[in-house]
Amino acid sequence: MQKVIYNISLYLSFLKISLKEILIYRIDCIVGIFSQLIVQLVSLVFMFVVFQNTENIAGWNFQQILLLFGITRISIGISGYCFDGLYDIGPKYIKSGEFDKILLRPVHPLISIIGNSREFVSIADFILGLVLTIVMLVQLAIPVTILLIIKILFFSIVGALIIGAINTIFSISSFWTYRSNEVIWSFYRMYTFTEYPITIYNKFIRILITIILPFAFVAYYPTMAYLGLNTYIIYLSPVVAVVLWFVAVKLWNLALNKYRSTGN
Amino acid sequence: MAIIEVKNLVKTYKIIEKEEGLIGYFKNLVKPKYKEFTAVNNVNFSIEKGELVGYIGENGAGKSTTIKMLTGLLTPTSGNVIVNGIIPNQKRIENNKNIGAVFGQKTQLWWDLPVIESFRLIKKMYKIPENEYRKNLKKFTELLDLEELLEKQVKNLSLGQKMRCEIAATFLHDPKIVYLDEPTIGLDVFVKEKIRKFIKDINREKKTTVILTTHDLKDIEDVCDRIILLDKGQIIYDGEKQKFKDTYGRYVIAELIVNNIKDNIILNNAEILEQNDNKLKIKFSHDETTIVKIMDEISKFCNIEDIHMKEAELEDILKEIYKGVHTNVKNNDATSKNAI
Repeated sequence: MQKVIYNISLYLSFLKISLKEILIYRIDCIVGIFSQLIVQLVSLVFMFVVFQNTENIAGWNFQQILLLFGITRISIGISGYCFDGLYDIGPKYIKSGEFDKILLRPVHPLISIIGNSREFVSIADFILGLVLTIVMLVQLAIPVTILLIIKILFFSIVGALIIGAINTIFSISSFWTYRSNEVIWSFYRMYTFTEYPITIYNKFIRILITIILPFAFVAYYPTMAYLGLNTYIIYLSPVVAVVLWFVAVKLWNLALNKYRSTGN
Repeated sequence: MAIIEVKNLVKTYKIIEKEEGLIGYFKNLVKPKYKEFTAVNNVNFSIEKGELVGYIGENGAGKSTTIKMLTGLLTPTSGNVIVNGIIPNQKRIENNKNIGAVFGQKTQLWWDLPVIESFRLIKKMYKIPENEYRKNLKKFTELLDLEELLEKQVKNLSLGQKMRCEIAATFLHDPKIVYLDEPTIGLDVFVKEKIRKFIKDINREKKTTVILTTHDLKDIEDVCDRIILLDKGQIIYDGEKQKFKDTYGRYVIAELIVNNIKDNIILNNAEILEQNDNKLKIKFSHDETTIVKIMDEISKFCNIEDIHMKEAELEDILKEIYKGVHTNVKNNDATSKNAI
């Protein structure tokens, strides 16, 4: 336990130092945040268009869908910033040989890597998500209590951890290809399935996003709980996160050992 | 017990055999043909605490591969490496706490930030106690002249300034062993001297074991007491630096300024390395002749105006070894090992 706490504090130190590096480039930072906001606003406009043609999707009305969208954005905002470093392993560290530098630190390489995040612009997703969530909760006449906000933030962090673990698993491809960022990205993008109620999909996709790559636990099940549709399954998501991370780290270490024995 | 123990170390790489032409490259894409390449071939040595060892050899001799195995970055194909009682590739993170490393021009500092920020994070990573950190920082700042650099962004430093900070960062946690791979590459002579002096000072004070690989043999000449010479993945010499020079460098190189060369110069016990209108460069051994005899001989062919002599340096000797002049080096390997 002590080790876990030490590692988390180390991770935060890495995050802090890379945040300092980002903030030096003030203009880059501001431009990045605005472009990210625009991207998300375009998706929102698209939803408006959809709902001009239909009353509900799989029984979910416009506000409920927007709440789901908001909750998703909060998790995506957190994971986008906190686990962005994983995309760099192949194209940046391994290709340039900088990976050796990370392996020489007295710290697990994953901590150095995910601590070195450049995607501060994800804060745009986080803020947009939070605002949208609160507005929709009010519109749906769900009382916005401090407890609910804490619950939403907690399960959003858990959701971000689930995304982080899935990305970590696919980052293993870095040991074979420099283009691992594309591998991670293509699986990561499946989270968009859960921006809509999963009941609209066929059996295959449902199994995929609840069991194989459990993105449904990121925002869909939590939103069900906030809407009072299914209040129990949400408590499974911390378990899912812990199990996924355990598997991810084990697999990652195995792949690293294999990589070190073949040479580079 | 030795701090570094290397036994029968072998590293073999599988490399893809390149075929000619674009079609060949496509063939490789579908069905690659591998061929084996042995980078390190049955290497043995042991290093005691506090030794300053020069690990030298030509490009591709297997130096970096060995260092990578010592640091646990690579897993040996066969053989054993024990560093400070640990097998580095099995307990890499544990081993990392005891070591420091500089690899050429790759920086471990955070590029966009002031140097001191990197030092603070290193302090946290290695759990350096506050007072140790302060003491070391103060001392290194003095020795390497860092005062003005600590608050500057790394990207704004010159190569020499960066390397001085890099060296300080490497020694900050009082590592027991430091691997320096080309630490002085591209630096001017003053920075080189500063870094060499720093390494020697820290070694004297803290008994830090240092393994230095470099192509600048002045580094070795200045810093190391012992050299391990590698050729095609095998050790061809391991022993004291002075003994190496005494054994293979028992000759003198003399440069003479001459005029009025009358004839083709032929000398009995000296070899002519270079000759033009008024300059003559010769090499001879003290065992075979003396400078007086040689001057006597030369003066038959021309007038000697000036003479400049120097003892053989490591660089001269190594050049000869690479050229294959001393074919007996390998045979002496065993005896030199016994000497240490």
